[in-house]
Amino acid sequence: MNPLESLRLAWRSIRGHRLRSALTTLGIVIGIAAVIAFVTLGASLQAGVIGDISPDDQRNVYGWAAEPDSEGGPLAGAQPVFTQDDLEAVEDLEDVEAAYGYATLQTQAISNGEETVAQGSGMIASGPSYIREERITEGRQFEMGAREAVVNPAAANQFEENVSVGDTLTVAMLGGQQTEVEVVGITDNSEGLSPFEGFESSPRIYVPTDPYYTEQASMLGIGAGGGANTGNQSGAGGDAGAGNQSVTGGEARFLAIIVEAESADQADIDAARESTTDYLESDASDASELLGDDLEVQLQTSTELLGQLQDVLNLLQNFIVGIAAISLLVGSIGIANIMLVSVTERTREIGIMKAVGAQNRDVLGLFLTESVILGVIGAILGTGLGLVAGYLGVQYIDLPLVYPLEYVAIAIIVGIVVGILAGLYPAWRAARTDPIDALRYE
Amino acid sequence: MASSGTAVSLSNVRKTYRIGEPVHALDGVSLEVPRGSYTAIMGPSGSGKSTLMNLVGCLDTPTEGTVVVGGRDVGTLSDRERTRLRGTEVGFVFQTFNLMPRLNAVENVALPQLFQSIDRDERRERARNLLERVGLGDRIDHMPNELSGGQRQRVALARALVNDPAIVLADEPSGNLDTDTEADILDLFDEFHEGGTTMLVVTHERHVAERADRIIHLLDGKIERIEELDGAGGSQAGSPAGRESGGGDE
Repeated sequence: MNPLESLRLAWRSIRGHRLRSALTTLGIVIGIAAVIAFVTLGASLQAGVIGDISPDDQRNVYGWAAEPDSEGGPLAGAQPVFTQDDLEAVEDLEDVEAAYGYATLQTQAISNGEETVAQGSGMIASGPSYIREERITEGRQFEMGAREAVVNPAAANQFEENVSVGDTLTVAMLGGQQTEVEVVGITDNSEGLSPFEGFESSPRIYVPTDPYYTEQASMLGIGAGGGANTGNQSGAGGDAGAGNQSVTGGEARFLAIIVEAESADQADIDAARESTTDYLESDASDASELLGDDLEVQLQTSTELLGQLQDVLNLLQNFIVGIAAISLLVGSIGIANIMLVSVTERTREIGIMKAVGAQNRDVLGLFLTESVILGVIGAILGTGLGLVAGYLGVQYIDLPLVYPLEYVAIAIIVGIVVGILAGLYPAWRAARTDPIDALRYE
Repeated sequence: MASSGTAVSLSNVRKTYRIGEPVHALDGVSLEVPRGSYTAIMGPSGSGKSTLMNLVGCLDTPTEGTVVVGGRDVGTLSDRERTRLRGTEVGFVFQTFNLMPRLNAVENVALPQLFQSIDRDERRERARNLLERVGLGDRIDHMPNELSGGQRQRVALARALVNDPAIVLADEPSGNLDTDTEADILDLFDEFHEGGTTMLVVTHERHVAERADRIIHLLDGKIERIEELDGAGGSQAGSPAGRESGGGDE
């Protein structure tokens, strides 16, 4: 029998049991929809995160010192071991373009003139080139040693009167002391600039490590000393080399460092990483004093760090897809069950068809077609539902929408496979029905 | 008329079922059904009528002996070949009509041709013609449940004829019909028989059997006797009397 005719007959009998067919496909619909929705979310999430690594950022190597088997992404288990001297020494290494520290400063509130907003940890201290030129829409990078800041739009817009270049903000640090920053630049968007920050949008104020971190470090007693530092910073403005003077005796130690390789080439990155590690672990560095046997310097690129994040995402996604697969299994058992009922119910019809010349394979084909139709309809509806659900989810979380279109094809194939597997045994039973018995069947 | 050769022949056919001890459903039956003939088979329950039907209809194979349908020995055929022979050389008419419930009249009639992979338009055309010939030209799109019993049996008859079979097998074709409809159907049988169709009707109603040229009486799996009726070919002969005498239930 011509496959088109099988299709026509099978469709006829599916339409003959609308409700039953609908309920039967529901299992497949839910399973496929769940897979498509979560895979869409996952792909969008990854696109959202990975899209934030600017090409220029790819040559950055992010470093921290932690116990070798610490897991959990950037800065997990990090200890403050790096001194400014170390950073300068690293920067002087042949393969390194620049090196600077990174620290999050604990704040209480930020005031713009009369207006004050509470803010906990939105102040980030780093080197000037931490903020790429091309990400600054207005103004310029801050300078090391100056009381300057670059803010992102979220930080700038949190005041009733938007902050603009040239304004001065007063920041209340966690310890209670007040410090002032002059806004010299505004970035293009509010997403994080590096994996250390995370990539979500939130208000951030970027300041030079010197003076802001060194001040706070000495205040909180991080590092070996440096009470003397506080005094000599306020006037230092404008001189990028000021870092030298400000950290002379007392070493404010950084939790995290950023090392820029010569280029984003893997070879350059590896070279920068290698020489930095060699230096930091050698006796020449200040960090080596504290590294001891327990700590190890971890140096990773954004891509590598995101890889870890992606591993977690993938794990989560596989987990959900696994659950959805169980739903698919249940769905296909549903199809198999209904097909068996249908075969029994239509024993007499099978007898008639065989009496008028239907071959076993015609009957087999007919029932198989029917279950494949159920599977494919389930897959198509499930895909549609999944895409809609994924879209809504992505809108809700505010991510760039990425449809994993290969999964749509996979879903349809899965629908066909499920239909075949679920229909195989019932169809085989139908095909084997003895027409004499079947015609006698009431 | 048109009796050139043999449509079906059985020689020394034995069919044994083993349910516990062997039961001979048919016990050495030999029978020739010439082309264009009209044969009735009568016999009480358990006499082997159904078994004979199944063998002639290529639904089953004999334990011993040979059954030849349309020139081919059914016992030597593979399952597929037998199915194909059944589809092309045998037309069934059942007591319970056995139409496909979700197919309309024309689709039901065309069904046997579907399995012979005949083109859809050609199928419909042939089915439509046959429906017109059985008097249902105006009901070709009706579903079986929209048709009366008599109409359904006409559809079934048209379906039996659609592949132009060597023989039409009718198993109690009027068993579920009232007297008037029964007469209509049997008249149609006569009409097709006159047109050259070979008919084999299984019944236990004397007046139905009397439409035929001859009646084979089966008893306990054997042919008890063969009754030749007058006016072979002219089937109307003798039938009024037969019909009046009514229920010749042995």
